[in-house]
Amino acid sequence: MVNAVDRGMGKTRAMVRVLSHPIDGFYEIRYREKGSVPLAITMAVLFSACYTANRIFAGFVVNDVDPRGVNGLMEMSGIFVTLALFSAGNWSVTCLLNGEGRYRDIVTVTGYALVPMIAAFALATIASQFIASGEEVFYTMILGCGVAWTAMLLLAGIMTVHNYTLLKTLATLALTMLAMFALVFFALLLADMIRQVYVFFYSIYVELTFRV
Amino acid sequence: MRDPRRIAALAAAALLLAGGALAESAPYQSYTYDYRENIVITPAPYLPAAIVSGASLGITALNQPRDIAISDDGRLYIADSGNDRIVVTDASASRAVMIIDAFDNNGVADGFSAPMGVALSSDGQLYVADSKNRRIVVLDADGATLVKVFENPSHEALPDGFAFTPLRVAVDYAGRVYVIAQNMFQGIMVFEPDGGFTGFFGTINVTVSLWQRFWRAIASKQERANARLFVPTEFTGLDVDPYGFVYASNMDPQGQKAVRRLNPKGEDVAIAGVSGNLGGDLRVASDGPYSGVSRIVDVAYQGRGIYSLLDSQRGRVFTYDREGNLLYIFGGLGSQAGTFRSPAAIEYAKDGSGTLFALDYVRGDITVFRPTEYGALINEAVGLRFDGDETLAVGKWREALRLNENLELANAGIGKAYLAAGDNRNAMRYLKLGMSRYYYSIAFRRYRNEILKANLGWALTAAAALAVVVIAIRAAGRGRGESAGASETGMMDDG
Repeated sequence: MVNAVDRGMGKTRAMVRVLSHPIDGFYEIRYREKGSVPLAITMAVLFSACYTANRIFAGFVVNDVDPRGVNGLMEMSGIFVTLALFSAGNWSVTCLLNGEGRYRDIVTVTGYALVPMIAAFALATIASQFIASGEEVFYTMILGCGVAWTAMLLLAGIMTVHNYTLLKTLATLALTMLAMFALVFFALLLADMIRQVYVFFYSIYVELTFRV
Repeated sequence: MRDPRRIAALAAAALLLAGGALAESAPYQSYTYDYRENIVITPAPYLPAAIVSGASLGITALNQPRDIAISDDGRLYIADSGNDRIVVTDASASRAVMIIDAFDNNGVADGFSAPMGVALSSDGQLYVADSKNRRIVVLDADGATLVKVFENPSHEALPDGFAFTPLRVAVDYAGRVYVIAQNMFQGIMVFEPDGGFTGFFGTINVTVSLWQRFWRAIASKQERANARLFVPTEFTGLDVDPYGFVYASNMDPQGQKAVRRLNPKGEDVAIAGVSGNLGGDLRVASDGPYSGVSRIVDVAYQGRGIYSLLDSQRGRVFTYDREGNLLYIFGGLGSQAGTFRSPAAIEYAKDGSGTLFALDYVRGDITVFRPTEYGALINEAVGLRFDGDETLAVGKWREALRLNENLELANAGIGKAYLAAGDNRNAMRYLKLGMSRYYYSIAFRRYRNEILKANLGWALTAAAALAVVVIAIRAAGRGRGESAGASETGMMDDG
């Protein structure tokens, strides 16, 4: 029990370390098993919560979102689908391009990289309560810093867990985008085919009920 | 003292009951657009009160009337184009008191041929756009004496063999005459009071989109010759406010800017509201029988900065205030009283009641719309803001809110009044409801300063006191540390 808590603390500390020392931190996650998929998923949940909160509660001066149009569950599932698509896309690309990272490493990197965005969205939402027009730059600056930091972490993380050069990382990230589109396309195709199969069997059932 | 008030209260109650009864019988849906450009259904701001036709005036039926003008004392001048006459009614628009179909032109009996537009000057002279006779005829208030004629305009800016076919006419307090002529894309024609044509006014510039440029670039010479010319849209209607500003409507193919408010130099000074739109409906279907952008065919100035546009596409009247806020929308196509078949012109009564006259040229009648309690409240509140009496406007806005809780204008109006009165907290609340980000921000900044001013004193004092205490404790600790030994300093280093 104590051991498990200790390990949990160790993993959290590893995640915090990643923020300031991304290359070293992600190296330890990949090769010394310091990463935690549940923690990464928790970060994704936290991010979707902060993102939704920002859309609903950000100050009136900076917020042009119709709060009636924000559904927390929809926002959350949207973010989860995007993250899942990204990790799946990256995994499919890097598998073919000698990436050393496992699927769990990719998920961990994606989740951990969100930490600056979580902080930025939370902080910006609070800061926006004290902002009048003309001061929006502070709000956008906080958000911009968070996004830049997250992008940096993601880049460093993907680079480290796959043991890639920077150029190869950028190339695989571009390919990841394509893979994400391909995944969406196949998912839609599959959904449509399943529907057609369902309609086929349903019409057989209808025929039978009429004749029997 | 008491009695007049009681009478007023009774009258208000009666009005309310009448309004309620009629609101249900409104033959159209009244609505407006909110900040997010959603359609918000509102109570009817205007209801049809009467129909004026040839039969109701006791004369032969009107035949394709094209324009109306209203005198200061309420007489209605109808350009009965198909009958080549001008019909003048009494002040209540119930009987025809005069039919002008002939006048004495220097000893020769003269008449009109398809008069398309009428206007009245401030001294009661009648200006008629006598389209097929290619002239503007000015008659004295008696309707029989010819004052002057504007014809054969000549100017270097006019093309050779230009045929002057005036469709609409307006005249300002200085006697300058503004004319919309057929196929005259350069703008509104301006005539000086002495009759000389001086030039064009308020020209609409042609805008060619990138997409159109692209198609033109890849088109063959033959195709280019066959393509439609990029000509500016023509003006459709005119009105002049008491300050000499000319309101001119046009059919904007983009549905964005269908009205111009032209200063005496011909510059457009119309202000658009937050939507940036002065072109009628914001949401339109792209195909189907009721689709397409609004086709604005006339503009009428109500007073105190308020003006209305008439849409012939869907038979609606759009009313805006001076700041370009859309106040209300009513009207529709149909055959019931209060709807139109082919609306052509609108005009407001000059008595400040906000009564609107709308002309239908196929049906040949004029529908008289009177403001309901709701419409009158909005007109009055906007007017009070125009006059600078924001505090008085609050009462009107509150009443309007009672009739329509979702009226952003009313919330914003109340908020602005609170802002002017220095109640920043309430101002913020109402301005947020009214989606007025600009004024909200002003209120918010002031509120923030208030809080800072009230609390900064003690907060700074407390911080200074805390700093003194911390320094004292540290000093005391250091004093003890020197006597007690190294263990304490070790802890200090750690921290």
